[in-house]
Formats: sequence, C-alpha cells, structure tokens
Amino acid sequence: MSAATASVRRRRRLTAGGVLITALYLLPVYWMLATSLKESSDIFATPPQLFPSPISLTSYTETVVNHAGIGRGLLNSTVIAAGTTVVTLAVAVPAAYALARLRVRFVALLILLFLVVQMVPAVNLALPMFVIFSRADLVNSYAGLILANCSLAIPLAITILRPYFLSVPGEVIEAAKIDGCTTWTAFLRVALPVSVPGLITVAVISFLGAWGEFVFGLALASDEGMQPITVVLAGLTNSFGTRWNDLMAVSVVVALPIIVVFVFLQRYIVGGLTAGATKS
Amino acid sequence: MTTTVTEPGTANGTTPVRAPQRARHWGEHLFVVPAVVFVLATVLYPLVFNVDLSFRDVGVAQIVTGGAEWVGWENYADQLGRDEFWHALVISLLYTGLAVVVAFALGMALAVYFNQRFPGRNVMRSLLLLAWILPTVVSANVWRWMLDGSYGLVNALLEAVGLVDGDLFWLARPVPALFAVVIATAWSFTPFIMILLLAGLQGIPDTLYEAAKIDGAGAWRRFTSVTMPLLKPVNLTALLLCFISTFKTFDTVFLMTRGGPGEATMILPIYAYNEAFEFFRFDTGAVATTLMLVVPLGLSVFYFRSLRREEAA
Repeated sequence: MSAATASVRRRRRLTAGGVLITALYLLPVYWMLATSLKESSDIFATPPQLFPSPISLTSYTETVVNHAGIGRGLLNSTVIAAGTTVVTLAVAVPAAYALARLRVRFVALLILLFLVVQMVPAVNLALPMFVIFSRADLVNSYAGLILANCSLAIPLAITILRPYFLSVPGEVIEAAKIDGCTTWTAFLRVALPVSVPGLITVAVISFLGAWGEFVFGLALASDEGMQPITVVLAGLTNSFGTRWNDLMAVSVVVALPIIVVFVFLQRYIVGGLTAGATKS
Repeated sequence: MTTTVTEPGTANGTTPVRAPQRARHWGEHLFVVPAVVFVLATVLYPLVFNVDLSFRDVGVAQIVTGGAEWVGWENYADQLGRDEFWHALVISLLYTGLAVVVAFALGMALAVYFNQRFPGRNVMRSLLLLAWILPTVVSANVWRWMLDGSYGLVNALLEAVGLVDGDLFWLARPVPALFAVVIATAWSFTPFIMILLLAGLQGIPDTLYEAAKIDGAGAWRRFTSVTMPLLKPVNLTALLLCFISTFKTFDTVFLMTRGGPGEATMILPIYAYNEAFEFFRFDTGAVATTLMLVVPLGLSVFYFRSLRREEAA
C-alpha cells in the first residue's frame, strides 16, 4: 500500500515538473500573446509586465483590422495554402497508393527520389524558379506560388501517405477486385475510405506548410498585392519599428490558424510526424 | 513549419510489391505518373536550369529574355575566390552545428523526461510541438522581441539572476547575434527531435532498466549504459535529419538579422539569396546555391544508410 502511494506521489511530482517544463518552453508563445494585449506604454515597462493590465485589444481592433496589407496577405495565404493542399492531395494520394499497393516499376528508385528531393533547400528552387517564372509570366501569380509550394509539399505528402496505404491489407483490395472492382474503383471505394486519417494528416501538413512558407513568397511575389501573410509580416517588422504590441498582434493572427488546427487535429499531425518512426 | 522528411520508415526500398508474375499492368502506372512529372518539372528541371545559369553571364536583361552568354567555369572561379563565400560556408556550418547540438541535447532531455509514465504527459508532449509547428516568421519575430536589448524579456530574466548588467543588444553584436539565431532555431527544432527520440525510447524494453537497477546502476549510469547505446541508430538518424534541415534554414536568420551585424550571421542560403535578389547576379547566385547543395545531398547518403540500419535493427 505504501509502495503504491509512493508511486502515486512520484507521478504527481513528475506531472508538476512536466507542467513547469512545458510552460517554460512555451514562454515565447505566451509572451507573443501577452504583448499583443498590452497598451503601447506598457510594453516598455521595466521590469516587464508579466500579465497585461489593463488588457487592451487596440492592436487588434485598430492595427490588424485597419491595415489593408494584412487583410490582403491573409487572403493570399488562404488561396495559396488551399490551392497547394488540393493539388498536393490530387497528385500525391494516387502516387502514394501506387507505390504501396500497385504493380509499378522502379518502386525503390521512386521512393528514394521523393525522399532526396526533400533535402533540397527552398532557395535552390526559388532562384531558378524566379527566372523560369519571369519568362513564363508566372511571377506574382497564385499559380506560380502554388506550383512552387507543391514542389516540396508533394514529395513530403507521398512519404507520409505511403505507410497508411501499406497498412491497408492487400487481401481486401484483391477481394474487391474479385467482386468486380477495377484498379481505379478499388482505390476509390476501398483504399481511400480506410485511409481517411492519413488523408487528413497530409491535408493538414500541406496546408500548414504552405501557410507558414516564406522563401517562395519572398522571391516569387514582389508585388505587394500578391504577397502571402508571412512576407507581409516580415515587411511590417521594418515599418512598425518598436510597435511590438502591434507586431505581436499580427504574429498572433498569422499563428492562429496553425494553433486552432493544432488544437483540434493534433493527433493527426503528431501521427504524421511520428508515423515512420514508430512503425518498424 | 519547415518541410522536412518526417517519415523515416519508407527508405526501405525492398517493400514487397505483390509479386507480378504476369505482364506488368501499365495502366497502374498512371497513378504515379502525375507525381513523377510534377517532381521532374518543379524540382529537377529548376535544379538543372540553375546549373545551366551558373555557367552563363546572366545580366538583369537576360533574366527575362534569356540568351545569356556561356562563360564556362568563370562564375565558379569568381565565387571560390571570394572570401565572402567561404565566410558564409563557415558561418553556415557553425550555425548549423551549434543549433543541432543545442536542439539535440534539449530534445534528448525532454524525451527522457516525457518517456516516464505520469498523467498528462501526452498532452504536454503535443503542446511542446507547438514550437515546431509555428511558422518560422512568427517565432523569429517573437525571438527578436524577446531578445530586445532594452525591453526584452530575456535580458530582464538574465538581469534578475545577475548574469547581465545593463542592456545586452543581442542582435547588434556579432557573437551574441550568432547565439541568438542559434537559440531561436534550436527552440523550433527541439520538440521535433524529442518526438523522434521518444519513438526510439519506447522501443527499449523496461526489463533492461529493471535489470540495470538491480545491478545497482543509478539514473545517469542507466542513461549512459542502457539508453544511449540502444538509441544509437535513432540518434544518428535524428542528428543527420536535424543537420540537413537546419542547414537549409533561411527564414529564421533572414528575419532576425538578415545576415548581420556585418556578416556575422551570413549563412549560405542568405548569401545566395542576396547574390540573386539583392544584387541581381543570378549567375553567381546559381553557383552559390549549386555548391550549397553538396552539403545536404552528401549527408543524405549517410541519412538513408542510417535509416536502413535503423530499420534492420
């Protein structure tokens, strides 16, 4: 009995320590939020005010809402991220399925290709893409930015998805074929429905990746009206100067979709991040 | 969030495709053709195009019109003879090396802690991933504010414990600026490493720790004699993956220092970006990016080898 209570006490201590570690580690996230809720004069208090008082929404109601560039940037990012997600799913899902379950040549080579491609720094693609897009009139266009984002999103999506399709038993697909399914209908009606968690993971990771993407937006959208919110935010760091509360408010708005998606769909994200590492 | 290979389980090229005894089903290739075409067009073609650019004299006019003159190895000679290029390479390796060491040490500590059994650990593990998944533009901005010389939280905390006296302008002085970008980068990568290592830790049977305990091994001894040796393949994979991803990093440094002060944090990706987009020298920029590619691609050979070994283990 005493051993049991000792272990309960130990676990409680561990939980308390874990809470402390997590809180300390996420201090920058809290600080972003706290600063965004402060009045201009309070951000320069020494020592720093740990809790905003009074809580002020001015940075949101005045700056974020009224700044035309921010609204435009959010719209651009939404279009780019949604477009990237749709194209990525359309291209990567059948490919991942084929590499897992169909009779395709050079499977090992293709898997390696999709992995190696992910080692390429974005700058290596942004530079030639700028020249290619300049000649094809794709600079400052949604199509160009979506294309650029997909270049790295598709290989990543295939890598994440393939294990999901590998876990669909081959017998199930064979059985569907005996029942009259073609390769195509077996994919649509049998393999896809059981792989929904994988599809959600890939959709979420593609969307979030494109939402936070910076290099392509910086290099391929010089026109302010076409810039994603990440590039807009980078520009504001100069024009806002020391208006840290306003800058943090914009940062919160940029981070918000990520945080919301993360809270509601985190098991898919964590699953996607660990899929390979946990299965052997 | 940076795009990285997060799915190490698939490098095993020997995955059984149901043995095709009869004729190949060519129709089934249609599933994979769009992806292959896409990667050829949006990754391999630009890379080859970039190599081509690196051998030409590309002026501002030729960016749009094309038809730049072929100059052979001239641009390579120019870059390799420039101190700034080598400086950027050294800074890149220094920045990457330091960030990987910090992220790995912290990631390992967190992984060991959160591998213990206690209520709430899964929620906390997930919460920590927030640092990894936050857009780098956001985290870089927050760190810029946290490290502000006069009103930053970091200086206030350091002052409170007596480590700093007066204002320390992190981003305005060469060595502190390098540490600042290392800290910000490591902060993002640490939770990712933690997750990779946790997966490895979960594969170590409890009985081994019990046995070590009975033999009188303390916590540190159990870590060095049981955990570390058994985690070796996972460690190597995580280190290589983290090194490659950090080496590619552009946003964090660009947003915090733009490579400055002076050239103190001028990493290769920013150097190459400046060549092309600041000075409109797309030819030498192409040389810098092409040479830069050697590091991640070279390391990826070891990465794939370690993945295979990890799977075999």
